[in-house]
Amino acid sequence: MRIVIAEDDPLLREGLALLLRAEELDVVATAGTPGEFLVAVDEHAPDVAIVDVRMPPTHTDEGIVAAVEARRRRPGLAVLVLSAYVEQAFATELFSVGAAGLGYLLKERVGRVEEFLAALRRVADGGSVIDPEVVAQLLARNRRPDTALAELSPREREVLGLMAEGLGNTAIAERLFVTDGAVHKHIRSIFAKLQLPPDDRADRRVTAVLRYLDGDQR
Amino acid sequence: MAYVRGRVRASVDAVEHLVGGLGTALLALGALFWAVVVAMTCLVGVGLRLAPGALRAVRSVADRERARLSRRGTPIPTPGPVPEELRDALRDPFVRREVGWVTLHSITGLVSGLVGLALPLYALQDITFPLWYRLVRPEDGAPGFFWWRIDGLSEALVVGVLGVGWLLAAIGFGPALARFQSWPGRWLLPPPPGVDLSLRVATLTATRAAALDAHAVELRRIERSLHDGTQNRLVAVNVLLGAARRAVRRDPDRADEILGQAQDAAEQALGELRTVVRGILPPVLDDRGLAGALAGLASSCAVPCRLAVAVTVRCAASVEATAYFVVAEALTNVVRHSGASRVDVAVRREHDRLLITVEDDGRGDADEARGSGLTGIRRRVEAYDGRMTLTSPSGGPTRMHVELPCGS
Repeated sequence: MRIVIAEDDPLLREGLALLLRAEELDVVATAGTPGEFLVAVDEHAPDVAIVDVRMPPTHTDEGIVAAVEARRRRPGLAVLVLSAYVEQAFATELFSVGAAGLGYLLKERVGRVEEFLAALRRVADGGSVIDPEVVAQLLARNRRPDTALAELSPREREVLGLMAEGLGNTAIAERLFVTDGAVHKHIRSIFAKLQLPPDDRADRRVTAVLRYLDGDQR
Repeated sequence: MAYVRGRVRASVDAVEHLVGGLGTALLALGALFWAVVVAMTCLVGVGLRLAPGALRAVRSVADRERARLSRRGTPIPTPGPVPEELRDALRDPFVRREVGWVTLHSITGLVSGLVGLALPLYALQDITFPLWYRLVRPEDGAPGFFWWRIDGLSEALVVGVLGVGWLLAAIGFGPALARFQSWPGRWLLPPPPGVDLSLRVATLTATRAAALDAHAVELRRIERSLHDGTQNRLVAVNVLLGAARRAVRRDPDRADEILGQAQDAAEQALGELRTVVRGILPPVLDDRGLAGALAGLASSCAVPCRLAVAVTVRCAASVEATAYFVVAEALTNVVRHSGASRVDVAVRREHDRLLITVEDDGRGDADEARGSGLTGIRRRVEAYDGRMTLTSPSGGPTRMHVELPCGS
């Protein structure tokens, strides 16, 4: 797995590279600005890019813009975006073109190395990762009683949250200590209640769920 | 005794007031003269073009009088610029009242000002006359009374007594005269009833908006420095700790090395947190003002520091805090990186900008890309719509120039 890191804080950049190299992953380049990052993507043809949201010059959403551009230049490039805080608008911007091979995580998750590496692999394999915090915020903003969400049972809401985070059926079953079959049943029921087209592929489910959660509150 | 002291102080104040009024009365006379000339040329058409200018001149004199009266009593708000179009200008309620004021004040203000100034001068001259009456020829008479022949000390003393009379008149009538002089302004220059409220609301809205704006800028700056500095450091600590935990079993030596890096990062986080906290509002600014706070910085600087602060009025607290932060960071950089033997810090105010220059004789080659100090300064300055320029050729000297808008 060839990795490029784009992070403007030198200490954090080196820390990330050190962590990944210690895990015998192949960090082929690091970049401190969106420009350097795009050059590195062109030059080193990486499989995965780890990108900070806030980068120079304005420190707003340069990372997201650069990630979208990198994926345009190199279709199939997996991108894991790291953010210091949850900005749901950035997540929506990032996932607007689909969720395959995309991830959005809070920076502090990197410290839980095993989970972070698992997320990185999932994204590299074309899956999706969304920080639980993003999902929690989206769900919290949808507390209106008149929406279809209100019809979901507590268990179904839980499953919906995990689905939005990008977990597949087996992973959801493991988290909730239930059987695959039970999860499958819940998911069918959720899709029916929310009137979403049923789909088994995790990344498409993420897009659908995000679109539902995000679109509903407008 | 206290009564006498009070009276004397009141009459000295009155003289000062009368002299100021005399100044605006002379200006008013000039403006009136110009307005009359323009009005007369209006009859032949040429004046129509000049009329708005003349009205602006009247307004600027009136604003001076407003400022003068505001310093000693109820503040009189200024109405803003005269409307561009002559027709609108003539309809403006302020303009009409100002034309009335300029006519009245150029007469009453001038006369009362001259009398008010003359009384104490006569008093001084006549009271001291017995001391110097020998210097004038007897046939030249007493001061102001050339027909009054002064032949000896006794007659000179009578003039001295007259001087005491002038003095009593100055003390007795001075304050009343000053009140009389400011009466046309107090009557005609405040906003007419009805206009007052809207004007005041407009001023309040503007100042409130500006205050809120400055507040938002300040919050954004704090948010930024917490996110991009402290939080990033802590994330790095977290990442390194994660890496160290993974390394403990495989390679304890490596783990120790990583833990060392994590500790460095934690120390940096503490340092940046300190900077952020200090930058919110350094307590020393409140206690000693900008000049005092900077003097403290300069004296505790490891490199000899010469400080020149020419700022008489206080700026907004957030601007002073920024200026303080800039100088503190710049001096830290000089000590850490420049190898300089001296550093000059100059802070002055030019119109609505605060200008800060820090120059050292070190080795130069300061680079914003390395070291977060300079980036921090730039970010903070730009958050205030200020400007920072840095020249640092290899071999020195390094010169940093910062401009901060500080309102009026």
